[in-house]
Amino acid sequence: MVSRWMYISLVILYGFLLGPFIIIFMASFGANATMAFPPQGFTLDWFANVFETSQFIDSFWISLQLALLSTIVSLIMGMPVAYALVRFRFAGSGIVETVFSAPILVPGLVIGFAMLNFFVLLGDMHVMTGLFIGHTAILFPYSVRVISASLRNLDPYVEDAAVSLGANRLRGFMLVVLPNMQAGIAAAFVLGFITSFNNVPVSLFLSGPGVTTLPVSMLSYLEYYFDPTIAALSTLLVIFTVVLVQAAERVLGLSQFV
Amino acid sequence: MPYLEIHDLTVSYEKNQPTLERFSLDVEQGELVSLLGPSGCGKTTTLRSIAGFIRPDAGQIVINGRDYTFLPPNQRDIGLVFQSYALFPHLTVFHNVAFGLRMRRIPKEEVHSRVANALKMVGLEAFADRRPAQLSGGQQQRVALARATVIEPQVLLLDEPLSNLDARLRVDMRQEIRRAQQQLGITTLYVTHDQVEAMSISDRVVVMNQGDIEQVGTPESIFATPETAFVADFMGFDNHFSAAVDSVHDNQLTVNWGGAPIQLPWRSKFGSPQAGARAEIFFRADNASLAAGSEASGLAGRVILHTFHGNERRYLVETEVGEFSVMQDSAGERFEPGATVTLQPNTQKWIAIIE
Repeated sequence: MVSRWMYISLVILYGFLLGPFIIIFMASFGANATMAFPPQGFTLDWFANVFETSQFIDSFWISLQLALLSTIVSLIMGMPVAYALVRFRFAGSGIVETVFSAPILVPGLVIGFAMLNFFVLLGDMHVMTGLFIGHTAILFPYSVRVISASLRNLDPYVEDAAVSLGANRLRGFMLVVLPNMQAGIAAAFVLGFITSFNNVPVSLFLSGPGVTTLPVSMLSYLEYYFDPTIAALSTLLVIFTVVLVQAAERVLGLSQFV
Repeated sequence: MPYLEIHDLTVSYEKNQPTLERFSLDVEQGELVSLLGPSGCGKTTTLRSIAGFIRPDAGQIVINGRDYTFLPPNQRDIGLVFQSYALFPHLTVFHNVAFGLRMRRIPKEEVHSRVANALKMVGLEAFADRRPAQLSGGQQQRVALARATVIEPQVLLLDEPLSNLDARLRVDMRQEIRRAQQQLGITTLYVTHDQVEAMSISDRVVVMNQGDIEQVGTPESIFATPETAFVADFMGFDNHFSAAVDSVHDNQLTVNWGGAPIQLPWRSKFGSPQAGARAEIFFRADNASLAAGSEASGLAGRVILHTFHGNERRYLVETEVGEFSVMQDSAGERFEPGATVTLQPNTQKWIAIIE
């Protein structure tokens, strides 16, 4: 009996997880002028419409650049912080850790609103610069956390071992610590990229005229139209994300970590 | 001239709290010396100072005539084996062992032959392509040993190398380490908190307590004749009581033990004791025996606990002087709890320590 109930709840769970995607996926091929399920007819027009809408194409490139740049910068800044937090206990290291987790704990809308006000105070700032700073700030705690986790699994004495065998501190770090952080860095990269690429609340506040991220464009498109173009775009984004994660796993060896 | 000389080494992590206080030790070439003591006694601090990871506040470390005191750790010629092994998880066994040779820019062919020899010495030729995670604890320890010795260091330092292994493997690895050390003739310092391990492997044992040396000597001398109460306790003397000295004759003194005088050898760091001085008396459980009833000569008592240990039985006996632990051959008579017995001392193997 237990196993039957478990089986039923599993089906329900999967239904709720995958159901919406299946509906969106099917609706994106429907010939109706508005979103409908079950779809009637078959057309690729909505996909064509995605590529013909310059707003989507422009904001896709902005989101892509933004996600890549802010992920890489947050990784570069996160690595030394993670290293210091894992290897050394110093006065106030607990406070530092808490402050670095704040962007995970504070609601995104609050962060976006606060940053908008802060950047306005700072004066004339390019919209892209604002978006870049905002995204880097929200990704930073993720990269610190994920890289810290991979470092905690590494015996702290391996560095001493490398030094006792004749490597200087820097060389020991490069030859022994860095290779073992690789999986953590890869995981932080994928997580950071997806977090930035999907972010709405912070981007909503920091976007400006002509500079909008893809999720924000999608949201504003939905305010005016209810045709399946968004469904087609969503289908494309799911495929894009799956391909990206697969590629990252191949190239960076994510599977060792997850 | 000794090969490794440590003079008045002083290390304090915090102001006015020395972890190591004027520690001096000489080690001869090819000798294996153990630093034995409880955690916090300064043994690991000594080792890490020699390796160069701790900068001493005062003192000097000389190896083979060269002053090592302030040499950076990567320029010292020292092999280090860690308690956690600290193998490089992303490298194969071969590359782990080759690491130190690569750092020394040794030609490729020589690296190959030396690594092969080192792996052969520890019996891991077949495992060269494995990663550390694919090895058992004992195999990882062997890799660590090969990695530390393949560079032919001037001194080999081992920091509690066996404490993560199970009891049986520890005995095997102990012999392997000793064999490799003698085969290579390498001067070695071995840190441990296990007295059995220290005795079985060492040429000499240094017993440490709170940053000071309590006693230095061969395993045999430390086992038989501890000079301080700390050493006696640490070296597994199961029983202890205090008594006033009645009289002293040369190497022997007499104390009163439950109404009868007993004569036993004494040790003191402060010269011959006077009558009336307080003696701390130690004896091992197997240096006393039990006789049934209370008629025999000795100290009357009552068995309160019996435990079985294969070849021996161990009894806890309550007497008017205190509770004592006594080991008896398990082939002999068995005493049940509550039985009246007489405790007969083998006092020539007992020791009275005057502090």
